[in-house]
Amino acid sequence: MSLEPRVIAALGRRALSVQFRRAQLLMPTFVLPLMLLAVIASGTSSAQDLEGFPAVGSYLSFVLPGTIIQGALLAGLTSGIALASDIESGFFDRLLAAPVRRVSLVLGRLAGTLGLSVLQTAFFLLVALPFGARYPGGVAGLAGTVVLAAVTAVGIGGIAAAIALRTGSLSLMQSIFPFVFVLLFTAPAFFPRELLTPVLADLAVFNPLTYVVEASRGLLAGDAELGSPIAGLGASLGLAIATTALAVFALAERLRTT
Amino acid sequence: MASAPALPAAPGTLAVIGVLWRRSLNEVVRVRGALLPATVAPVVFLLGMSGQFSRLTGLEGFPTDSYLSWIVPLSCLQAAGFAGAATGANLARDIEQGWFDRLLVSPVPRPVLVAGPILGAITRCLVPTTVVLVVGFLLGAELTGGLLGLLALYLAATAFCAVAGLWGVFMAVIFRTQQAGPLMQQGVFVAVFLSTAYTPQALLRGWLEGAAAYNPVTYVLELGRQATVSGIEPSLANTWPGLAALGGLLACFGALAMLGLRRMGA
Repeated sequence: MSLEPRVIAALGRRALSVQFRRAQLLMPTFVLPLMLLAVIASGTSSAQDLEGFPAVGSYLSFVLPGTIIQGALLAGLTSGIALASDIESGFFDRLLAAPVRRVSLVLGRLAGTLGLSVLQTAFFLLVALPFGARYPGGVAGLAGTVVLAAVTAVGIGGIAAAIALRTGSLSLMQSIFPFVFVLLFTAPAFFPRELLTPVLADLAVFNPLTYVVEASRGLLAGDAELGSPIAGLGASLGLAIATTALAVFALAERLRTT
Repeated sequence: MASAPALPAAPGTLAVIGVLWRRSLNEVVRVRGALLPATVAPVVFLLGMSGQFSRLTGLEGFPTDSYLSWIVPLSCLQAAGFAGAATGANLARDIEQGWFDRLLVSPVPRPVLVAGPILGAITRCLVPTTVVLVVGFLLGAELTGGLLGLLALYLAATAFCAVAGLWGVFMAVIFRTQQAGPLMQQGVFVAVFLSTAYTPQALLRGWLEGAAAYNPVTYVLELGRQATVSGIEPSLANTWPGLAALGGLLACFGALAMLGLRRMGA
């Protein structure tokens, strides 16, 4: 099966431009994670005094990967919301009538998610800089973090697209917003895994975002002991491939049943 | 000469408030799962935050050894605040659909038009607040303040819901679109989290230390924490700052909402 890069790129560009035209979709993805970062970085920074907390140069840099992954989750979710909106408005039906491969429709949507996540992660990394975040991992660490977040956003976008395609309901997509935080909070997003409650630490082992957060932490700090980049890449790639397949399957089901 | 038929008497203020209150509660019955996100989100935050930050109680100066007990009032306030802010989103929908214009030409004072929906929000907020409390207690949060503490927590939550409702009304009459919904919710989010949300005042660092000290929600939280935090016992000293903060917030956002409503009818 050959891919259609021009179709995917065009659909990705459209997905991105729709997101930027609708401020109510962008507000949660860009502003909400930064607000949570500001509050957590300032409100819990005394946690560095706890026994077992790893020695880190900047507490803000330590919690920043949690924010980046939160952004990736929200980027994925909003792309599902935008897809559901296209389905409800009938635009998606017009796309289905176009002479393009159906899989390109899914990949185009996810290309938009990938682009949004790259912009978002770069924005978070830049905004945190004047507030004291430091990146000893250098350019390679920063680039690695952007890639990890983007692939993770595609992974979450795949789940969101699958749900949107199966249900076609905008209101349902909007109401799953809280459940996204379940994924975030069952990973060591803002605290080291060793200091989570025992139940949460056990759960975190099964959450792919655990490895992505820890890998980002390791990449930004240039310290592989904080997290393995290979494990992070494996987890995010595995998630992205599995959920993209799920979304393609959901589209096939939609075409079969409607 | 036959006399003209008498006009039906205009309904009293309380009757109008009652009707609008019932109408806002209909939302819960008519929209399937309307309360679900408002209930699930604070519970998820409660579980997530307590799981992430439970070790913070090991820091010197933390008033309780149960982080769940510390965070339960925060989640209750968050739940009540979101329920209150939804009043604004519902009003924005009524404005967009033209229904509110019809209410504006009715012979009732403007405050009556918002009193009903605010009462509806207060009633609705009891569901997520109670669910959060029950989940917290089931997972090990302690009711250290007894019945008085519980009363203080419900007072803090319901009054904060009214504050958030007035904020939502203000936003709705300014923007007159449902797209302002996230702004209403995030106003509540910011107000709640720029306080002693995660740690007590003594353990806050940097800019948040000052922000929390001046944020009235910090004192509303203290009022609610009399229920579950062993270091904050029910007492007049722990109660009046919260009541004063709530009084100030209600007066401030009430005035803004009325100002917006007056401009709308002009």
